[in-house]
Amino acid sequence: MYVKKVAVIGAGTMGADIAYTVAMANIPVVLRDVDEKALERAKSHIQKLLDGRVAKGRLSGPDAAQRMSQIVFSADASALKDVSVAIEAVPEKMALKQKVFQELDRLLPPLAILATNTSALSVTEMASVTSRPTRVAGMHFFYPAHMMKLVEIIAGEQTDKDVLDTLSRLSEEIRKIPVAVKECPGFVVNRVLTASMAEVMRFKVEYGYSAEEIDQTIVKHKVAPLGPFVLADALGLDIAWDVAETLQAAYGDRFDPGPELPALVAAHHLGVKTGQGFYPYSRS
Amino acid sequence: MEAEREQELIDRFTLATFMEAARLYEEGVASAQAIDIAMRAGAGLPAGPLAWADQTGLDVVYQKLADLESRFGARFAPPASLSARVEHGQLGIKSGAGYFNY
Ligand SMILES: NC(=O)c1ccc[n+]([C@@H]2O[C@H](COP(=O)([O-])OP(=O)(O)OC[C@H]3O[C@@H](n4cnc5c(N)ncnc54)[C@H](O)[C@@H]3O)[C@@H](O)[C@H]2O)c1
Repeated sequence: MYVKKVAVIGAGTMGADIAYTVAMANIPVVLRDVDEKALERAKSHIQKLLDGRVAKGRLSGPDAAQRMSQIVFSADASALKDVSVAIEAVPEKMALKQKVFQELDRLLPPLAILATNTSALSVTEMASVTSRPTRVAGMHFFYPAHMMKLVEIIAGEQTDKDVLDTLSRLSEEIRKIPVAVKECPGFVVNRVLTASMAEVMRFKVEYGYSAEEIDQTIVKHKVAPLGPFVLADALGLDIAWDVAETLQAAYGDRFDPGPELPALVAAHHLGVKTGQGFYPYSRS
Repeated sequence: MEAEREQELIDRFTLATFMEAARLYEEGVASAQAIDIAMRAGAGLPAGPLAWADQTGLDVVYQKLADLESRFGARFAPPASLSARVEHGQLGIKSGAGYFNY
C-alpha cells in the first residue's frame, strides 16, 4: 500500500523521534498529542535535531526548514482523517492504548493501518477493540528512535500480510531495518537482552563482584557493546524490572534477575534518571 | 576477576543469549536471519547469537551447554535445534552448515 501520510500519536520521547525520522524521509506526518506542552517540547526537540544536522553540514538550512514543514503538530483529532499509517506511542497502558485505537479506528480511512510502538503489550488485544483487526500491527522502534536502526514489525493473530509488507517498506523508506516478528512477550530484542541480563545479575549476587568489574569484563571480551548494568541504568531500572517481571511470568525463572534489581527499584534508585542505580551518577 | 570466573561469566552471558535466540527460532517467532539482524541492529551485538554459535562450533556450544546444565539446571539444556544439527554433523562454519549455510 502507498503511504501518503503518517500520523504519530503521542509526542513524548519515542513519538517525537519517530515523527522526525518520518519527516526526514520527506513523508508528511501529523504528530498528535493531547498535551499542548508535549507538542511544544517535541517541536523544539525536533528543531534541535535538525539544527544539529545543519551544523554538521549534513543538511542544508532550506532542506531542514522543508523537513520541519512536513510535520503538523496537532492537538486536534480532525488532522488525522487522510492518514494511511498511524503509529501509536502513548504511555504503556492497555486501557489507554485501546481508547486511542478506538479513536483511530473511527477517524482513519477503512484501509488505513494502525500500528503500535508498544514494548510489551499485546497487539492482538489492541486490535480486538477496532473494526479492522487485520489492519493492526506492531511497529516497535528502539530508543533513541532517531538513531537506532531496528524496527520489529509485529504480527498480531489476525494481521494481514500486506499490512506487514507495507510497514516493512515504510521502515526502509525511513532508513530503518525492519525484521518480521510474531507476537510474543518481549518480542525478540528485549526477550534476548533480558534473559542475558538476568543471568549476569544472578552471577553478580552469587559471587559478589561489582557491577563495574562485570561490565568491564563483558566489554573487554567484545561480546556486547555495553555491560548489562550500564545498559539497565540507562534504560531505567523500573522499566528493566517491569520487563523482567513480565517475562518471568510468561516464561519462567530464567528471567528472574535475583534480589538486587527489585531492591534498587524499591529504594527508588532507578539509574541515570534518578542519579543512582547500579552506579552513582553526578547530576550536574 | 580470576580467569576461571571470567570464563564462567562470558559463557553464561553468551550462552544465555544463544539459548533465548534458539528458543525464539524453535518457536517460530522469527527466522534465524531476522533474530540475528535484530540483535545486531537493536542491541549492537557484534555478531548475531546464531551466527556466533556457528562460528564457535555447534559441538563446542553443545559441550559448554551440557556443562552449564549440570551446574545450573535446565535453563541451559541444549535446545533441540542444536542437538539435531550436532547429530547430523552440522557443526557451523567449519562443516559448511549450522543455523546458516556457508
Ligand atoms: N522510552 C523507550 O525507551 C521506549 C522504547 C521502545 C518503545 N517504547 C514504547 O513507546 C510508547 C511511548 O513511550 P514514551 O517513552 O515515548 O512515553 P512518553 O511518556 O514519553 O510519551 C507519551 C506521550 O503520549 C501522550 N498521550 C497520552 N495520552 C494520549 C492520547 N490519548 N492521545 C495522544 N497522546 C497521548 C502524552 O501526553 C505523552 O506526551 C510506550 O508504549 C513505550 O512502551 C518506549
